[in-house]
Amino acid sequence: MVFNVPKRFLPYCALAGATGHSVRTLLLHINLPIEWATFVAAALVGVLTISFAKRHLAPPLMYAVAAIIPMIPGTYAYNTVIALVQLSAQSQVSSELTAEVISNGLKTVFILGALSVGLAMPSLLYFRTRPVI
Amino acid sequence: MYADTQNDITRQVVRVAQLLLAYGAESELIEEISQRLGLALGLASVEISISSNSLVLTSLVHGRCITTTRRIREHGINMTIICELQRICLLTEKGIYGLNEVRKRVSRIRPKSYPKRYLIPMIGLSCGSFCHLFGGDMVAIIITILAASLGMFVRLAIAKRHFNLLVNFAVTAFVTTLVAQMGYHFDLTSTPKLPMAASVLMLVPGFPMINAISDMVKGHLNVGISRWGHATLLTVSSVIGITIAMQLGGLFL
Repeated sequence: MVFNVPKRFLPYCALAGATGHSVRTLLLHINLPIEWATFVAAALVGVLTISFAKRHLAPPLMYAVAAIIPMIPGTYAYNTVIALVQLSAQSQVSSELTAEVISNGLKTVFILGALSVGLAMPSLLYFRTRPVI
Repeated sequence: MYADTQNDITRQVVRVAQLLLAYGAESELIEEISQRLGLALGLASVEISISSNSLVLTSLVHGRCITTTRRIREHGINMTIICELQRICLLTEKGIYGLNEVRKRVSRIRPKSYPKRYLIPMIGLSCGSFCHLFGGDMVAIIITILAASLGMFVRLAIAKRHFNLLVNFAVTAFVTTLVAQMGYHFDLTSTPKLPMAASVLMLVPGFPMINAISDMVKGHLNVGISRWGHATLLTVSSVIGITIAMQLGGLFL
């Protein structure tokens, strides 16, 4: 809604989002690391949204981004930057905060990378030389 | 083809590309749509160079080139417009639309957004569901909904007065965190940290980040990097807002 998706496409966005998130939760339950789970879920969302896009003649990214927002590592990013600000406010570098910044920051970057590469998978593998729609 | 016609077609194509870039489409899509539209309208080739705030487009017909440059101003993301433009491109490619129809449709495009009274409760609800997903209890969810709705109200009010986006994000984050801190001060909930993390999630610039990475993956490095920088700046400015609010509430340091 923030991105002004037309009203008639909103249910499809919700469907794609629900699918992605539940697949990721399922994969996390069988102890896959979060990056891989995100990657698989994003690839699934990518395939799903391309089929939606073909049916409605709309850009696939429109569904995909709405579907992927719940999987964005917002909390990791939040923790990273909060720890960074705390780090800069202290007089000396503490190793715990640094460790927190590095681990949360790396998680953020890798999850984001997994999300968007997973999302781009169908067009990287299957729609190499021709347009999606 | 006469020079006038080429001028006209080029103008329509560059207008479409400009709208796409201004309303937040990814570079690959912009390039694809403008090339397909140009070919469908009868140009021999369309070459386009995109940067973060301008674009250069060259059209070629019968060995004659026209190059134009357009400056882009950011308008925020609006998927309705992008859908509309994609539809125009497809219909033109199928031969249903000619130049005149394209011109009419493109000039009729107006940015339309959802009314405030739907947008604000929906944002509140979605942040509340985030809080639920993180495992917050009922009171925490209610606090989150309150904070996020109020934050969204502030954000829309500031955006209406055309402030800088960074200022907007900082102020919104400040207000949101100030409300979300309630759980700490009045001892309402057993999970006071979650509302603070969940309610600021509406400020995470998810769309620019995804756009940035998918641009970079598909080879538009400079656009991708500048979008990434923009997203990072937005995050940093909302963190400044959060920090000030937390220090006022005496929560940290």
